[in-house]
Amino acid sequence: MITFFSIAVDAVAYGMALFIICIGLSLMMGLMRVVNLAHGAFAMIGGYLASYATMQLGFGYFAGIALAVLGTVLIALPLEPLLYRRIYGKPELMQVLMTVGIAFAAIGIVNYLMGPTLKTIPLPPILATPVDIGFRSIAGHRLFVIASGIVVVAALWIAIEYTTLGIKLRAAIEKPDMARALGVRTNAYFLGCYVVATALAAFGGAVGAEFLPIEPFYALRYIVTFLVVVSVGGAGSIVGSLLACLLLGAIDVTGRYLVPDFGNFFFYLCVIVVIFAYPNGLMGRAR
Amino acid sequence: MTMRHPPLSDAARGAWPAYKRDAYGILVVFAGGIAGYYLFPDSLALLTRIVSIALLVLSLDLVVGFCGVATLGHAALYGIGAYAAGIVCLRAGITDPFLLVMIGAGAGAVAGIAMGAVLLRTHGLPQLVLSIAFVQLVQEGANKASAYTGGSDGLAGMMPAPIFGVFAFDLWGRSAYLFAIFLLIAVLAILAIVARSPFAMLCRGAKEDPVRVESLGVAIRLVLLRMYAISGAIAGIGGALGMLATQVVGLDGVSFELSANALVMLALGGVGSLYGALGGTVAFMMVEHMVAAINPFHWMTVIGGLMIGVVLVAPRGLAGGLDDLQRRLFGGKSETRQ
Amino acid sequence: MSKTIVSRLKRFGAAVAMLAAGAAGAAQADTIKVGIIGPYSGPFALQGKNFQAGVEAYLAQNGKNVAGHTIEIVYRDLPGANPQQARALAQELIVREKVQYLGGVYFTPDALAITPLLEQANVPLVIFNAATSAIMNSSPLVVRTSFTTAQTTTPLGKAAIERGTKKFITVVSDYGPGIDAENAFKKAIEAAGGQVAESIRMPMTTNEFSPIMQRVRGAGVEGLFAFLPSGPPTLGFVKAFNDAGLRQAGIRFFSTGDLTQESDLPALGEAASGMLTGFHYAVSHDSAVNRAFVEAAGKALGDVNQLSFPAVGAYDGMRVIAKMIEATAGKQEAAKAVAAVKGMAWESPRGPVKIDAETRHITQTIYLREVAKDATGKWINKEIQSFPEQGDPGLAK
Repeated sequence: MITFFSIAVDAVAYGMALFIICIGLSLMMGLMRVVNLAHGAFAMIGGYLASYATMQLGFGYFAGIALAVLGTVLIALPLEPLLYRRIYGKPELMQVLMTVGIAFAAIGIVNYLMGPTLKTIPLPPILATPVDIGFRSIAGHRLFVIASGIVVVAALWIAIEYTTLGIKLRAAIEKPDMARALGVRTNAYFLGCYVVATALAAFGGAVGAEFLPIEPFYALRYIVTFLVVVSVGGAGSIVGSLLACLLLGAIDVTGRYLVPDFGNFFFYLCVIVVIFAYPNGLMGRAR
Repeated sequence: MTMRHPPLSDAARGAWPAYKRDAYGILVVFAGGIAGYYLFPDSLALLTRIVSIALLVLSLDLVVGFCGVATLGHAALYGIGAYAAGIVCLRAGITDPFLLVMIGAGAGAVAGIAMGAVLLRTHGLPQLVLSIAFVQLVQEGANKASAYTGGSDGLAGMMPAPIFGVFAFDLWGRSAYLFAIFLLIAVLAILAIVARSPFAMLCRGAKEDPVRVESLGVAIRLVLLRMYAISGAIAGIGGALGMLATQVVGLDGVSFELSANALVMLALGGVGSLYGALGGTVAFMMVEHMVAAINPFHWMTVIGGLMIGVVLVAPRGLAGGLDDLQRRLFGGKSETRQ
Repeated sequence: MSKTIVSRLKRFGAAVAMLAAGAAGAAQADTIKVGIIGPYSGPFALQGKNFQAGVEAYLAQNGKNVAGHTIEIVYRDLPGANPQQARALAQELIVREKVQYLGGVYFTPDALAITPLLEQANVPLVIFNAATSAIMNSSPLVVRTSFTTAQTTTPLGKAAIERGTKKFITVVSDYGPGIDAENAFKKAIEAAGGQVAESIRMPMTTNEFSPIMQRVRGAGVEGLFAFLPSGPPTLGFVKAFNDAGLRQAGIRFFSTGDLTQESDLPALGEAASGMLTGFHYAVSHDSAVNRAFVEAAGKALGDVNQLSFPAVGAYDGMRVIAKMIEATAGKQEAAKAVAAVKGMAWESPRGPVKIDAETRHITQTIYLREVAKDATGKWINKEIQSFPEQGDPGLAK
């Protein structure tokens, strides 16, 4: 039983790190209908900026992460009108071509500017020390990731479901023509959604760096995992993504504990079963 | 989130009769292939590899363009064809190249039916992810079955017999290349017939408006499954060709990366046009090879920029872009199907 | 620091301009071309960069001229394990570029794809990295200047037993070299009277290692032996070991040097402190030859902190190729070239080495190293014990 709880705690921490990164992708794919394979690139840029701010510029951990999110948004901002706006509502293949192109270019440029070695974001003492949670001790950082995930869930859920902003956003995205006729500035809302998605990617890339280390190929290395999470959860659904991350995290982790040799088999079989049972994802809406 | 494409053009009622245009198209490809033989006699290994991958992209075009299936796992079929041909060559002592290609095609077709049966249950993003899960499971299986596949070391040591007992698969790769061109022409000819057939029209109809086609009493799943089998056979031929030309098969042949690259090449060339698929493969691999040779350290940036540029300049891929250019210059109707 | 970014941006611009200008420089009359295949882009770009650094360090120190012939290097990018592409690239280098020597090759399947070509092409292949024993049997024209997993693991097993750890669990990546490491370690441990209680193979794509660490904890062992290919997951693995409290629990951590390559050490830092690894080369190796090598290779890399073990394989590989050129007076005679380096011995940056006349694999000292800080506070692999003249136990059967 103790072992079970030990594994569960680790699974939740890993799942939350995935969730913070993936939720932005889920929003873009579900609400804006953009298959954004460059999402991993934004998470990677966030991680690099956080590492640069803490290691080279001497900022603290939390300030470094804030700077990283801000910096990533600043880098990503011009790409929306220049590139992304051209692929809204276009065939998925075009979106794949464009966003894989962005990811390729990001890998090349980051590799050139920052070098190919692993980068770390040093943890402050408060997160580096193990915390006793009764039946075992857990790295403080893992608790921080879990807490961050909960905050992100709550904030997004309230923003999208309960504020007028959220209502207009959903309107702008579901029926852009009608929303425009009603005086909603759809372009601005698309931009807003895009900014939130990239900011979350950067945040996730920075706080999740202990799980998914920062290096140039990050942009493509984990994109399969991200896509799986989004589709199992149902694109655009916050609760669905959360459930998917926790479920897949749990299966991944317990599978690796019980039968490490066949860990991948378990994971992908589970994905196939879930998609057969819920073709639109756990909480996805049918279209 | 279904695949959206420009509406069907009236290609079949174009300026020339359909079969004539196909014949010209294949002739151009053939001429290009032969020209490649004389222009780049020292790069035949690379050209053969391009043809092998082009067969994968062509087969991908069948399921993307005709069935509207979004897939990032198509290399599973290519790799299964390659492994089947390789294992038979190594273990069963069958070394005739034509026979091995048939075996690759058969294995690819069977794998295609299996993959289709899994993928055709859903659409859009879930389908995309199912395809990824499929290819990952196949790759994991190939890694585990190392007694047959060589696992991560790859399968090596196959010794295919010379073509007609005369032309060996050797270092200079002449016979391998000519064999590849022959296979490519044969596949294009078959696909030209398939693409014009009522069956292909039915597939397209099923993709565009499944409800209406179903109400005509057609079992859509079975129709699309047949197309998947054809696609698998062609991917399998590509895989078997790769095995024959290089005499090795690796886990990369059943990888997500190869699948994703194939999809990018297809998008680059233009979906739904067989010549687009061919052109996209040639363009992507040539540029990659040349840029990587000039500066092996930074080719990813250049390729990435190229891909972004194509979306901005020619959103329907190279074939669509050429088509637009031609229409602007000469007027007339759309050449690319779709 | 931001200054370096600006200058790098400028250099990046220059690189793009060069790309546009195209490849210049046709082959001159008396040049001998050497084709180097390595991962210069993609996830393993750092290792490819180290190949190049090793090659350039050798040329910078010894000049490009060998017995009146000029060496010209042709690099070809092979980002991952992709045997078909490897074969096509090798064919192109031989047929089109007319290289007389092939070198490099990071992954085993790529090497196995190239070796069948060598005899017909009359070209020797000098392997700078690919570390599976069996490659040497696939062609008589292969020479290897790196190491094999069995070679680095076997002495480690002996050293672990000597240090009083008797009962082990092994954790390896589920692919060729990982399985080699598992077998070699088990054999060495059992030969020295120890015991491997449990063996775990994990898929290559594993990112989250805490469940594995729970297994380690539950196995009730004194020591952990791990093998993962060098790369980002090693960082997560070592951190998970600490996070799970295994270090405090007194479990000793042994691995091959792949896990603690110097370019990863700044990131691993404290987490890896005290780890014991067995390997053939440490950047900190104390010798005049190595200091000169580190300086030259660091210069080629632009940043000495990126220096790692593939560079020394490439550096020594170039020495072997130079000797081959000398022995054949620049003529293309592969068999004679390979014969000339059999038994060749020299002092490498890693210590004294010799090409075994029978196996054509490098015989060298394997070191037991501990991750520790040097006098300047930099993390290094500190050599604490050496096992001289180790051949490849994977081949000696």
